[in-house]
Amino acid sequence: MSNVLWAKMHGGTTHFPIALVMASALFDLAGFLLPDNPGKTRRASFQAAGFYTIVLGALGAFGAVASGLVMSQGQLWGRGSLARHHAFLWPAFGLLIGLAVWRLVVRDRASSLGFKIYLAGSMLTAILMAAAGYWGGELLLNR
Amino acid sequence: MSIETKAALLGLAAGLAVLGGTFGLSPLLQLATAAAAKEQSTNIASAATSPTLEGEARRGHSLFDHNCAHCHGDDARGDEGPSLYDLNKTDARIARIVREGIKGEMPKFGAKLNDADIQALIAYLRTLNS
Repeated sequence: MSNVLWAKMHGGTTHFPIALVMASALFDLAGFLLPDNPGKTRRASFQAAGFYTIVLGALGAFGAVASGLVMSQGQLWGRGSLARHHAFLWPAFGLLIGLAVWRLVVRDRASSLGFKIYLAGSMLTAILMAAAGYWGGELLLNR
Repeated sequence: MSIETKAALLGLAAGLAVLGGTFGLSPLLQLATAAAAKEQSTNIASAATSPTLEGEARRGHSLFDHNCAHCHGDDARGDEGPSLYDLNKTDARIARIVREGIKGEMPKFGAKLNDADIQALIAYLRTLNS
């Protein structure tokens, strides 16, 4: 398959995990900070949204990483913007998978402390993903 | 052991496993893509009725695939960017364009490609004759 096609696939697939991880962190933060409504559904709804978005984001990350690796011909580090892209990407990828697995196992049985630690991790992952996305964009648009 | 601790250990193992798998499989991918690039460079060279790419031109082709093909097309005959066949520019001019880009039209690659990379790229571009 042509390199151009892989590059386009990476460009297409990579936005899903970035957006979904950010959305997940925001949903969970909203569920954590906002007061619950009388029907006790608001927090549960935000947490459900946070759950599904991080799981989908983790699944999407496999496609983004696979297409990126094929496009870069297996380069795990590189130089310049590519190295900076990878410096943020690999920790974000590992954290994302770890957090998604934690969330899949724990579901709604998290303690307050456990959820706070998870939330801090998901926000850190969102920041790392955003930075990886920024440097990925710089690879194409470093004018 | 609480469910959270078990999940944390499982998450840690999964995170490390995917990273380990990615880093472990990467050398295989490098071999596979190198073989594919070799085959492709042979095809392009044949299509351009020039001999098989060697040395710097071969490395330049790999750099082209990685950095330029996205806009100039896999076969360098143009896509979003223009065709790079039969370039009527000096090596120095091409090197400056690659290094500094063209404002509003082409990104600069000076931070990504060093002088040796750019010379290899130029060696490849010089093989692109109709």
